[in-house]
Amino acid sequence: MQLLINALIAGSFAALLAGGLALVYGVLGVFNLALGQSVLFGGYITWWLTQVAGWPILPAIAGGILSGALLAWFTFEVFIAPFYKHHRFLPLVTTIAWSMILDGIILLLFEERARSILPGTRRLIRLGAAHITVQQIVLIVVTLLLLCIVAWVLHSTSFGRRIRAVAEHPQAALSLGIPSPVLHRILFIVSGILAAAGGIFLGIDQNLSPAFSFPLTIRAYAAIIAGGKGNIWGAIICAYAIALLEQLVVGVHWFGFFYVPAGFQATIALLVIIVFLIVRPQGLFSSGRRTA
Amino acid sequence: MTIKRLDPVSGHLLLFLIILLSFCRLFPLILMKRLLALGIFSAMVLSACQPATGDTIKLGYIGPVTGDAAALGKDMLHGVQMAIEEANAKGGVNGTKVELVAEDGRCNGTDGASAAQKLVNIDRVIAIVGGLCSSETLAASPIAEAGKVVLLSPGSSSPAITTEAGDFVFRNYPSDALKAVAMAKYVKQKGYKKIAIISENTDYCTGLRDAVVKQVGAAGFVFNEAVEPGTKDFRTLFTRLQKMDFDAFITNANSDGIIAVMVQQFREQGFTQPIIGADTADSQVVVDTGAAAQGMQIINVPTAGEGKAFEKTFTDAFGKPQSSIAWGAYAYDAANILLKAVADAGADGTAMKDALYKMTYTGIVGTIHFDKYGDPVGIPYVVKEIKDGKIVTVQDLPIN
Repeated sequence: MQLLINALIAGSFAALLAGGLALVYGVLGVFNLALGQSVLFGGYITWWLTQVAGWPILPAIAGGILSGALLAWFTFEVFIAPFYKHHRFLPLVTTIAWSMILDGIILLLFEERARSILPGTRRLIRLGAAHITVQQIVLIVVTLLLLCIVAWVLHSTSFGRRIRAVAEHPQAALSLGIPSPVLHRILFIVSGILAAAGGIFLGIDQNLSPAFSFPLTIRAYAAIIAGGKGNIWGAIICAYAIALLEQLVVGVHWFGFFYVPAGFQATIALLVIIVFLIVRPQGLFSSGRRTA
Repeated sequence: MTIKRLDPVSGHLLLFLIILLSFCRLFPLILMKRLLALGIFSAMVLSACQPATGDTIKLGYIGPVTGDAAALGKDMLHGVQMAIEEANAKGGVNGTKVELVAEDGRCNGTDGASAAQKLVNIDRVIAIVGGLCSSETLAASPIAEAGKVVLLSPGSSSPAITTEAGDFVFRNYPSDALKAVAMAKYVKQKGYKKIAIISENTDYCTGLRDAVVKQVGAAGFVFNEAVEPGTKDFRTLFTRLQKMDFDAFITNANSDGIIAVMVQQFREQGFTQPIIGADTADSQVVVDTGAAAQGMQIINVPTAGEGKAFEKTFTDAFGKPQSSIAWGAYAYDAANILLKAVADAGADGTAMKDALYKMTYTGIVGTIHFDKYGDPVGIPYVVKEIKDGKIVTVQDLPIN
């Protein structure tokens, strides 16, 4: 039971990142390696608004999400749009540069010490033998809602169909009257919002430090590869599944006599990537037929 | 040698080009090194801005300026800067101005080694203050040793430095072998029979863990797990701990940010057992977790530099410390010890080393001298407690 709750907490955070990544990489096919930094940036802005500017928590979260959206938009206009049309791998280089710049900016603005958005006491709730805090319940529910809305819009509405049309062939979509440049931007901004939400999640549940933001994205990549490129539902489900797997491998008393050392927990996401690339490179949830 | 004859500005330009070129060659490594590049660049800009007075004494610094332990490293850097500014205000050492060359060691061996390479072979510093993290110091010491450059660490406490590092490597921060004795004594005093410990898999943490396990005895540990560096989700391990019977929990992480998360999650799972921490827990970041950290016991060296003139000068110059004033104090002392060695013995590595083994120094943290391994003698241990948002010293813990 506690393991399941642990997995929900870790999985929600991973799913936010995976959702953002799935939109940009999975649907649009663009690499955005500055995603980890957008996560920290959104979290830090929220921290600053609550702890320094003294805003109440809800407007501060809105501010953090807005900053994430603006940052994603800026990233797209400056570091991706001018290069993307020449070659789809070019943004790989430009976003690395941008992530370095962002790392520096985050360090300059927010200093080195670890920051927590809601420091202090948490209210504990007992569910049988398991424990969970009120904050964690709220975080899990909001994350699920947010992700379901995004995935539903993309896969089950006409607006989502247009976005997927743009991803498949921008010129053809444009000739059919779909404003593909606008949709590209919308997709990016939504991924920025999800990333910022991830940062806020991290800042509330744990704390933010301007450490290497790269490991953050590894689990998200694993979820996308396992879930199948272009399928947001798949990425979300796999993010939770990998988190549960991580909890089970380390948390369960295997065959009644040994525990897997905790140091191996971080390797599970990488193992999932390898296994899927060998066994089922198209991912779990991608089907041969086109979904309209 | 040719770099030495160039004036400082073109020397730095040349250096920048060399670094740029090597970065192009090591392109795939850029991901890892990108923050380091930023650090080197800013350090170069800083040093290039200093007035070119011809001959200066160059003092190197290695410590984490970025990454998880950066809060501690920043305080240390400020301590060193303060010592150098004061020395220069008095006209320098033996009439020569002192110049600081700071490198980012990022709390790991790889960056610690490349920082040491640059300081020893390119900048040709006379001595190095650093690193903070044991991984940095252990990686930097063979390079300093080979270049006959004295390295004095104000923060590394791994017992391995006593045994593995050579004659040129000193520290004014005591070894964890001693801290382990202090912790074992504390555990015995309190009568804890079953202890749980979670360690981060770094040189500092595994060194401390092994020393404590040796002192207390392996039978005293019912739970002993290590996690990957940087892990911030300990819930699985605490779930496993749920089924166990233990008296006390030792949190053993490399940086205060991680300890804060660990303590928070420990209490969130409903544990009521006492938490014991070591020097990295002695930080405002941990105190900020509020009720979770209340009553936490910290076994550490006495608070250094607090409430004295040193703290005021430090805060006026650099603002509130990022982690703790103690790191600034140890680094300040370390820089002053090295400058004193230069004043006494001249800027020759071997002569400085000999002077250090004979020196007795009274600084902010107390009066120390070095034993034959370069470890400090004369720093005691105390037990501190986090009480209502403050860290207070509750008892002395003599270890003789």
